[in-house]
Amino acid sequence: MSYPGATVAVVAPRPLISRRARQILTGYAYLIPAALCLGGTILFPILKAIHMSLYNHVLIRPQEYAFIGLGNYARVLHDEVFWLSLKNSAVWVFGSVSLQFVGGFAAALLLHQGFRGRAAVRTVTLIPWIIPGVVVALVWEWLYQPNYGVLNDLLLKAGLLRERVAWLSDPALAMPAVVAANVWRGVPFFAIMLLAGLQAIPDELYEAARVDGASVVGRFRHITLPLLRPIIVVATATRIIWTFNYADLIFVMTSGGPANATQITSTYTLLQAYSNLDFGYAATLSVVLLLIMLAFTIVYLRVTRGIESVS
Amino acid sequence: MSRRAGTPAERILGGPVLWTGIALLTAFALAPFVWVFLTSLKTRAELYATPLVYLPRTLTVANYVDAWTSKLTPFSRFFANSLWVSSVTMVATTAISILAGYALARFRFFGRQAFLLVFLATQMFPAVLLIAPLLSQWHALGLIDTYQALIYSNFSFTVPFTVWMLVGYFDSIPRELEESAMIDGCSRFGALCRVILPLAAPGVAATAIFAFVSSWSELLFAITFTSQTEMRTLSAGLLFMVGQYEIQWGQLSAGVIISTLPVAVLFTYLQRHLIRGLAAGAVKG
Amino acid sequence: MDHGHRLSRRRLLQTLAASGVIAAADLAWWEEPFLAPRRAWGATPVRFQFSVPEPKRTALVESLAERFNKSQTEHEVKVEFVPQAQARQKLISSIAAGTPPDCCQVWDNWVGEFDGMGALEDLTGKVKDWKHYKDVLPLAWQTVTMKDRILSYPWVVTNDGLYWRTDRAKEYGVKPPRDDWNWDDFLAFTKAMTRPDKNQYGFGMRGQGTWAVLYATEFMYGNGAQVLKDGKVVINSKEAAEGLDWYLDLMRKHKVTPPSVPTDGWRQIVEGFGRGITNTYLHNSGSAEEQKGFVGADHFSTVPLPVGPAKKRASFYFSETLTMFKGGKNRDGAWKFCTWLMDDEPNAMYCKTLGLLPARKTLADRPEFAKDPALAGFVKSFPFSIVSPYLAYAGWGGKLDSEGVPLFQQAMVGKLSAKECLDRFAEVLTKNMK
Repeated sequence: MSYPGATVAVVAPRPLISRRARQILTGYAYLIPAALCLGGTILFPILKAIHMSLYNHVLIRPQEYAFIGLGNYARVLHDEVFWLSLKNSAVWVFGSVSLQFVGGFAAALLLHQGFRGRAAVRTVTLIPWIIPGVVVALVWEWLYQPNYGVLNDLLLKAGLLRERVAWLSDPALAMPAVVAANVWRGVPFFAIMLLAGLQAIPDELYEAARVDGASVVGRFRHITLPLLRPIIVVATATRIIWTFNYADLIFVMTSGGPANATQITSTYTLLQAYSNLDFGYAATLSVVLLLIMLAFTIVYLRVTRGIESVS
Repeated sequence: MSRRAGTPAERILGGPVLWTGIALLTAFALAPFVWVFLTSLKTRAELYATPLVYLPRTLTVANYVDAWTSKLTPFSRFFANSLWVSSVTMVATTAISILAGYALARFRFFGRQAFLLVFLATQMFPAVLLIAPLLSQWHALGLIDTYQALIYSNFSFTVPFTVWMLVGYFDSIPRELEESAMIDGCSRFGALCRVILPLAAPGVAATAIFAFVSSWSELLFAITFTSQTEMRTLSAGLLFMVGQYEIQWGQLSAGVIISTLPVAVLFTYLQRHLIRGLAAGAVKG
Repeated sequence: MDHGHRLSRRRLLQTLAASGVIAAADLAWWEEPFLAPRRAWGATPVRFQFSVPEPKRTALVESLAERFNKSQTEHEVKVEFVPQAQARQKLISSIAAGTPPDCCQVWDNWVGEFDGMGALEDLTGKVKDWKHYKDVLPLAWQTVTMKDRILSYPWVVTNDGLYWRTDRAKEYGVKPPRDDWNWDDFLAFTKAMTRPDKNQYGFGMRGQGTWAVLYATEFMYGNGAQVLKDGKVVINSKEAAEGLDWYLDLMRKHKVTPPSVPTDGWRQIVEGFGRGITNTYLHNSGSAEEQKGFVGADHFSTVPLPVGPAKKRASFYFSETLTMFKGGKNRDGAWKFCTWLMDDEPNAMYCKTLGLLPARKTLADRPEFAKDPALAGFVKSFPFSIVSPYLAYAGWGGKLDSEGVPLFQQAMVGKLSAKECLDRFAEVLTKNMK
């Protein structure tokens, strides 16, 4: 390994610990606080959950507690609600994240421009994110209510609807409806993250390109996008994972209904844990979800060439 | 960015498109919030009237007074709790993840890929299943009803994410910059502080904001790890307005406004100063 | 880099370091840097978890706890309030973690599950020695008895009845329902009270949550169906399917229900009636006080459920219990507190303030309960009230929610016929009979 461009003119005395070793030690040292955080909060419960998934662990039947190896996993394979929930999860995640990304990117580009009142608009953009998820769900549930919600009221008054639509109670409309609420909630995240990335791009690059005669679109394609790539990849990857696990919004708005139309895997896990009190099966579902997401992430990072440095 | 007469495309983008975009963005972000705000000013009769009442005919601040002074939901106290927990989480998370993010972005050492994946994988785990193990852990350490339990538990979702985001931000800064600084005699840590951080300032600010806002709106841990009213955070407090048979929409809306606007104001202030402070003396080019 | 900038950077780093120090100090030594809550010295705390159905209840419960604390010096009760929606999660987690509260107030359908988890102790002996044992209705004791063991105190009892708008009935010239009305009367009544142009519907049917299944079951019982017969699950009998078909037709064919039914839970049906969207709804006495605030006490009344074609009807009987946990740290204090809450004055105060019915007969006979018109329908339903048949097996509780409700929702939106729904439901019940 060599540092490109570095030429050592003076020969330094050989240090006790080689530079390479020092670098490695520093790297590990810098990682210790973060590793401690995770070790103390999340690592042990995850290992415990993996352990729990190999057991028949139903809280109300403690006498049946026993090691069943992959028994729970076999059950998952035959569980049609699980497969349905996986399909719903895919729609939920990719629908939400793609729309959030597009909306957030547009917002970031807007907020990067100079205009009066920019600080105010930036603050306003953040608002959907500050409100706790459960409250967002309750408010949107009210907006969607067919008989006393604002949405139907306005659409009826504007003549766009002739009869009241049950947004959350119709199996065909329920998922789009919750996705819309999730998009509202998630746009600020992308806006803030992408805006930070945009702000880090030096103006000189744009100036130079403009002098060279590049158009707006050209500057966007050849400067903005490549320099933002690491951040876009990281933001979308983490957001996809986070949305997979996000149960609150759906749980409050529809409880996974009607008839499992909005049952995603994480709400199904919640149901197994707290309604059926089947902690073993709930742990299994979490582990399966974890494996699926790991596989997805590895593929995703490889395809988007991950977070390798931009030279 | 200064405004100058550019190509027709630039002028259209900089003019009508920009303003339409801003209008749409503001409307999009605010619309439900405006509804909540109007609701907080209505009397109970107007809240439940059909047909729907949009603008309150009788303005009332009773909801705000109720929310702020109610014994069950003392918002003044909740606000202080949330502020403290979120602030400490933000500062600690940022410090921890700057170090970890820098290490993962710059150094090539054995297990780097594994570390990255582990950080990501820990976010793939539903918080729901963390509750029982964490509860027994905090109970064993005697940390129930303390700020510490909430702060440590918040790390479980802030740190993995902020580390990843900072790796991304650090990666977009060329290596040559800190190398030239180190050749000039700077230590590695010094290079981090004087060269990388100023350049990554917007990114660091963004992840700090993320840590703050996420812990501000965090709910599950706040409810499970606290049982005393005095220790509750705002999100948990808001949920007390949600009953089994009715939601006290008036007070809930007032509570939402009380808990949202100050954070928004704080954020504006924070962003401007944080970025300016970090970016002071940035080395460019 | 000039000195001015370097100075500001250093100051920033110092600020960060300082706040880090403060954070570390907090983490190391202080538990609450702000005004610490007063801790009781000396008296052993009794942790009482109370889930808050209505924020109104908290002032009441706190005053009850204070009264108890003042009346004796041995134990101090500390109330832990939890939002209703999180109460179950929090209780399950704390039991699983080995840190349950000393006592709590929960619905009786959770008691069986806690018993299955081994979290409760057999109170039969203690309770039989209690001075008011005979005063509590046998039906109430039944709700907290599993396998002949009494597991907690039934504090408040309730059954199901129908709320209806008296003012709207008068406005539309509809005859008020008789106490012994039948299904045809019910259909005619709800049809007459359905005015889509005015955004009003005749019946607020419930589609979400365990009780969606229970309300449908009550109607099925009216047609002669049963859940269990001779130890076998017979909820998919012909009578049951016919009953369910009739019930669902209210929504599918006659359209006397609002469009949000498949996802309407407790809160939605109560709010729907309160806002005047629905003109009747099925519920227990718990929301009577709410409706007095929403529509006004003189604009609504309650009436028993209609009699079905089999000349039968059923109203499921439930209790809100005071349950004590085996794993609590202060079981003696918990017992004393719960017994005190069952005494005349505290019990009556709780029920009267909230418009609920006490489990003790001498209290229930008091005029404020026996003569309240908003409670009339429930009181009149006691003669044919039965304990919910779904309490027979602890394993059924969670399954109703996770598998029963989606099946019924599918039947509501037309994806399954009533018979198919019940066949699969019966399968689920049979599999979980433990």
